[in-house]
Amino acid sequence: MTTPRTPFALLLTLALASNAFPKDAGKWVVGMSQCNLGEPWRVQMNADVRRAAAAHPELEVVFKDAQNDTLAQRAQIEEFVNSGVDLLIVSPKEAAPLTPPVAEAYRRGIPVIVLDRRVLGSDYTEFIGANNRLIGKAAGAWALRRLAELPAVRKGARARVVELQGLMTSIPAQDRGAGFHEALKGAPVDIVYTADMKWLEPQARLEMESALAVQPRIDLVFAHNDPGAHGAYLAAQAAGRERDIIFVGIDALAQEGQVYVRQGVLAATFEYPTGGREAVEDALKILRHESVEKEVTLRSRVFTPENVAGGGEWLR
Amino acid sequence: MRTLRRWIERPEGRALFALLFILAIGCVFNAHDAFFRWGTHRDMLRQVSVYGILACGMTLVIVTGGIDLSVGSVLGLCAVVFAQLSLHRGQPAVLAVPAVLAVGAAAGLASGAAVARFRIQPFIATLAMMVFARGLAKWLSGGEKVSRALQQPDGSFAYLDLPGAFERLDAKVWGGNVAVVTLVFLGCVALSWVVLTRLRYGRYLYATGGNEEAARLSGVPVRRAKLLAYGLSGVFSAVAGICQAAQEQQGDPEAGVSYELTAIAIAVIGGNSLAGGRGGVGLTLLGAMTIGYLEKILSINAVAESSRLMLTGAIILAAVLLQRRRVA
Repeated sequence: MTTPRTPFALLLTLALASNAFPKDAGKWVVGMSQCNLGEPWRVQMNADVRRAAAAHPELEVVFKDAQNDTLAQRAQIEEFVNSGVDLLIVSPKEAAPLTPPVAEAYRRGIPVIVLDRRVLGSDYTEFIGANNRLIGKAAGAWALRRLAELPAVRKGARARVVELQGLMTSIPAQDRGAGFHEALKGAPVDIVYTADMKWLEPQARLEMESALAVQPRIDLVFAHNDPGAHGAYLAAQAAGRERDIIFVGIDALAQEGQVYVRQGVLAATFEYPTGGREAVEDALKILRHESVEKEVTLRSRVFTPENVAGGGEWLR
Repeated sequence: MRTLRRWIERPEGRALFALLFILAIGCVFNAHDAFFRWGTHRDMLRQVSVYGILACGMTLVIVTGGIDLSVGSVLGLCAVVFAQLSLHRGQPAVLAVPAVLAVGAAAGLASGAAVARFRIQPFIATLAMMVFARGLAKWLSGGEKVSRALQQPDGSFAYLDLPGAFERLDAKVWGGNVAVVTLVFLGCVALSWVVLTRLRYGRYLYATGGNEEAARLSGVPVRRAKLLAYGLSGVFSAVAGICQAAQEQQGDPEAGVSYELTAIAIAVIGGNSLAGGRGGVGLTLLGAMTIGYLEKILSINAVAESSRLMLTGAIILAAVLLQRRRVA
């Protein structure tokens, strides 16, 4: 039974082995484990890493995509460790199950940069990420300022807001919502409609249609991501009410949220930076034995029609 | 009374009964009269249209005793191809639409050939197409949405105008009372109805699903009947993909994930049997409205996600139980 298969298996092994890591002398190999390339934001993260690394010929980045599967990502981190990469960049799907492989790599002397989502404990070299709660809070504060300018609100009416949440079992959605609510606390604002649109544009459009059917007056829509805000805008446009409503989103990808701001669809979008460039820069520092901070919180920008052409405005 | 009983004994009557049950729930929980305004119903019909178009193709396949798991992925693939052709390459709709329909037909015929020619189980054959088409959509689009922002070689973005076809498909007609995609859905229902009830091949589809061996022995071209069913399912998926792209103003390679389950649910709640050989597209239309109204009622009442899922499960079960033929 084995005879016809053996040469084939041998060839396959050889092909894989020769291809595994073309380790040039004097070149650092960085393993990048991405948890899910099904999301545009994460595609952008990899693109940022690739672009930053392209400026450094001494770096070679090997990308792996775990396709939203925790155990696949765990296996990929172990593969990187076994193949002897010089540094690991991990953007983990979730904290608890991915802590052991990250800690294992770190203890075996491979520096690990954890990007965007955290792992537990402190067995890693550096964490780089943005703070969803602060971004949600900034969006809330910005919304309050805009709502206060409305004629009805000036006359003493309470502002009426629709919140389209991301998948509420996910930490980013919880944090963005909590930050937004924190900023609104005590203000004359009613959240008149809330729905979980699961980060999905068609779902956001459907929920917004319902909000429009039930609520005769809506002043502002806060969506936890830009596709959600765009879906809500399309629903309002179909109802002929898009001019009465301020649309605010989060993420501000160049080809997505920033475009919506330029088109006048969104009044504002808040950047959720990928950290891809920062990760590559700090990876080089670590490899050159320079020191880096253990915790880096990325700064975020707000894009509005006034400042989008100039690259947005940094949040304080 | 006798007429009523005769109605209830027909599958159409039972499907209608399930729909009325959902409508009654809507009348009780009407969200401050929102349920009594036409806009709510118009929006429901728009929103369910893409699922309904997929369910038309699914019905043809289910009648042959098969299943098509690839419809959601083929929708995503076709949305990407349509957006690339008409949005990025500026092709007119008269070229882009037939090209996309051809892509859908090719995907469907490939599944159909695997089922009919190579006797692979429909579940497996269309599962393979589901995975492959999703991969193809991601490869063609580079994993990114094919949107109105087109990246230039220097990294900046050019912004493209929305093609007329997108605007026309996402418009409303008849005084803003009906969405164009709803008319597309009804057109697909009509086409499926003609195929199933007015063409010889429609009878072949039923015969194939009823008893394949007997059908083959009595001269029914079973293979070609199956090819037709899966091919048309692919074409309907392409139509749904075009409608999806027009409504989102972009081609999203992730579009349509898990839509196949909704399409199957629509067909089954309407009263089509997964065993094949029975059913019809009228049932699918009623099933689409039942599912659409259920989602709409939960949405206008702003029911929380956790309760929504539990209620949806319970109501689907209740609707199907209501449809069961009474035990004499």
